[in-house]
Amino acid sequence: MKEPKIIVCAKQIPDPEAPFSNVSVNVEKKEVVVDAPDVISPYDENALEAAIRIKEEVGGKITVLSMGRKVSDTVLRKTVAAGADALILLEDAAFERLDSRSIAFVLSSAIKKIGEYDLILTGRQAGDWDSGQVGLILAELLGIPSISLARSIKIKDDSVVVEKLVPVGYEVVEAELPALVTVSNEVGELRYVARTKMMALLRRPISIPKWGTKQLELSVEALNPVQLMELCPPPDMRRECVFIEGASSDEKAGKLAAVFKELR
Amino acid sequence: MGPERELFWKIGPGWLFYALAALAVGLLLVGTAAHLQLWMKSSLKGKVAFSREALKQTLSDVFLGLRVLKGEVAAGIMHALIFWGFLVLTIGTAILLVHEHLSSFLVGTSHLAFEVAMEIGGLILLGGILWALVRRYVQRVPRLERRLEDALVPLWLLVVVGSGFILEGIRLASQKPEWANWSFVGAWAAGFISPGIAESSYPYLWWGHALLSLGFVAVIPFTKLFHILGAPAAYYLHHSSEVSIKASLFSRDLAQAPVNEDEVAPETGEAALDFAETPLNLADIAFYDACMRCGRCVQVCPSAGAGEAFAPRDFIQATIRALWKEHSRVGDIRLFTKDQVIDPKVPWHCTTCAACLEVCPVYGAAFEAVSKKRTTLILEGTGVPDLMNQTLERLFNYENPWVSSKREKAAWTKDLDIPALTKDGKEVDFCYFVGCTTSIDARTQAIAKSFSSILKHAGVSFGVLGEKEPCCGDIARVVGEVGLFEEKKMNCLDLFSRYDIKEVVTSSPHCFHAFLNEYPEKNFGVRHYSLVLKELIGQGRIRFKTNGKRTAVTYHDPCYLGRHNRIFEEPREVIRSIPGIQLVEMDHHGADSLCCGAGGGRMWQGKELDGEARMSEIRVREARATGAELLITACPLCLIMLEDALKTLGFEKELRAMDLNELVLSSLELAGNNLM
Repeated sequence: MKEPKIIVCAKQIPDPEAPFSNVSVNVEKKEVVVDAPDVISPYDENALEAAIRIKEEVGGKITVLSMGRKVSDTVLRKTVAAGADALILLEDAAFERLDSRSIAFVLSSAIKKIGEYDLILTGRQAGDWDSGQVGLILAELLGIPSISLARSIKIKDDSVVVEKLVPVGYEVVEAELPALVTVSNEVGELRYVARTKMMALLRRPISIPKWGTKQLELSVEALNPVQLMELCPPPDMRRECVFIEGASSDEKAGKLAAVFKELR
Repeated sequence: MGPERELFWKIGPGWLFYALAALAVGLLLVGTAAHLQLWMKSSLKGKVAFSREALKQTLSDVFLGLRVLKGEVAAGIMHALIFWGFLVLTIGTAILLVHEHLSSFLVGTSHLAFEVAMEIGGLILLGGILWALVRRYVQRVPRLERRLEDALVPLWLLVVVGSGFILEGIRLASQKPEWANWSFVGAWAAGFISPGIAESSYPYLWWGHALLSLGFVAVIPFTKLFHILGAPAAYYLHHSSEVSIKASLFSRDLAQAPVNEDEVAPETGEAALDFAETPLNLADIAFYDACMRCGRCVQVCPSAGAGEAFAPRDFIQATIRALWKEHSRVGDIRLFTKDQVIDPKVPWHCTTCAACLEVCPVYGAAFEAVSKKRTTLILEGTGVPDLMNQTLERLFNYENPWVSSKREKAAWTKDLDIPALTKDGKEVDFCYFVGCTTSIDARTQAIAKSFSSILKHAGVSFGVLGEKEPCCGDIARVVGEVGLFEEKKMNCLDLFSRYDIKEVVTSSPHCFHAFLNEYPEKNFGVRHYSLVLKELIGQGRIRFKTNGKRTAVTYHDPCYLGRHNRIFEEPREVIRSIPGIQLVEMDHHGADSLCCGAGGGRMWQGKELDGEARMSEIRVREARATGAELLITACPLCLIMLEDALKTLGFEKELRAMDLNELVLSSLELAGNNLM
């Protein structure tokens, strides 16, 4: 087949691996405050890695789409350093805190504007809100087949062959191209991007198109912000380790039983 | 006619011999040229300057053979015998040619002296070869490989020497000169030979001997014999490069090479990285090429010793093999070499402990070769283990390799009244650079707490950078993330200059090493805390309580304090100066110390690299064998590893791991603290 045109949707989020002390929950404002650098959502990085491996095997062109109120090209350039060919940022004040359908709608408009594509890859879910809906809704909006939870993706002739995770293992599923696949972490981590590579890339100007509602010819009314009903702080996960001292096993067991009784 | 030897006695045309000799020398030269071409092609471009000092050291290395003798007396003597025997015979043969064609000076007494010298030369060569064969095939010294080449080379030489003596015997048996007894080995051999047979067989044997000898010369560049030329070159390049025993992991030109903007590929920036493709310099390649697989590095490598899938020798052999295939126009000219499959995980085993450099006869730092390979893997991106990938991301984002935030770095100072240099603007003697691990890890925070208490006790004014303390970048450096290391370095230099820091004292030997050797631009002094302790004790500013109780302690040398920076004695002096403390040494100590297994980024790698045993457990067993109660070390990483091993082995009750600071603090007079 001809070399596939692959689109990878990558979301910029505050680092989900941020140390716990950098994260706090504001219950009243229904806000999670993360004092951590922005990164690409890890599952989306898996999707990009899958795309790069396909490109290494059969060739092709990878375009990364990233959407948000404000998207940092410094963060997203990592995708280019890793092996993507083009980067398009979808930026607009109206893109803040949208619900999954609206996000998928904006992405579908952008993908229609790009025009030609064979394969769309997204992460199985975003690393911040973990909704796991955008990919599948996007496929619906584009009217193409979709396969979720991929652990391996291969292009064969004019179709995509996916090992799809199921609770007891995986199924091998095939779909005709163009298709959309949501990618799970089993695919493997995004290859490391050396700082020298990143710095070299940051130093040189590359053209990164920025499309907003205007360029995509969208009306803001068509976009619905997400309605957050309630936000709870995480449960107190502190642990305490106590060694029960005692002369004999019986004595220790007795003391242990006493502890259980007290905790009940 | 007085004592003399007829060179081409009974041998037909002399020109045939010279034609063959020219062929042999030609092959030697062509082969050597191929090696040189490989060296030039696969290294960074740089000039080799002439240095009298380097030449002097090279000659002493070559002729005294101390590097070969070091720690391996039997092997060293064996090598010396072969070396001197070979040298005497080679020079002797050359003299014989001069005598024949230029000036006939080998007559009378000088001829007799010459004959005796050649006899002795032959004998010691013979002895050396036999010893070598016994070591490899009878004693079966574990570090020695037994490949075809390993048998062929000494046997060949053995036949050359043996046939030489027999030839001499035949000549003497048939000529019966009255001075025959001066050639005592030949004369003895002559006793077994009847003159008739002697005369008829002589020409055949002579040509056989001649062909084998010339052949031996010709195959030098094509076998492991190349070390005859490669090792002296490696010595010279080692001594002349500014990188001394205080090893630098990679050439600085690598990280600092200017990016050529014109050559950057429009989309990926790939071309900008070409400079990093060859992080090797001439000294590296000379060492790889001079390696004759003696295996001393394997013998001392802690990773190999723990049964991990790594052996420095094999790594070097695979590296030079790859270089031959990649950079030589004619491919690998060496006979008996074959492709070795090296698992992509292999380069991640090395702890960069430098034990290999300590014992390598040609100053080969295999750990540097590993780091250079890591540099390539980091640039390629695909061969980086997931855990290392995550560690480097964390290091970049949070200024430490642990799952912790920079803001946690000052947590240990809570309630301790430690001056923060970033706030107080106070004049202090030095900045205590606590380091990521010591600041963050709950166990190793005790190092910082005890050191601060000691400093206060001694009335030293110091301060810390607290939450602003950056990472020195050393982890990035040892795992080959050159760019990240450079960023961290610039970060540190900026901060130190912003707060006008002129003196730095570190907890970790790793930060110490990085500042001392890998920050060429620095304008501050740096010491490890053990040096400060020693100084304070020397000045009488630390007062120990007298203690009737005697405690035996043993000391584990951190690699980056000991081997890398030669600080062996200072921590021991601190220990010895404490009343009631008796220092007992482990089998491996000082320059032979065994790594705890945390260096080279291994602290942040997974269990999948582990072998049959863990390096830390091997070390702790050795410590327990000393019968000491305390295992003292001077590095936060060592402390974590050793204490962990004590727990997993269940030795906790017999042996406690402790930092040197903790030991000193617990022995202080007026130790008004609750740490111990």
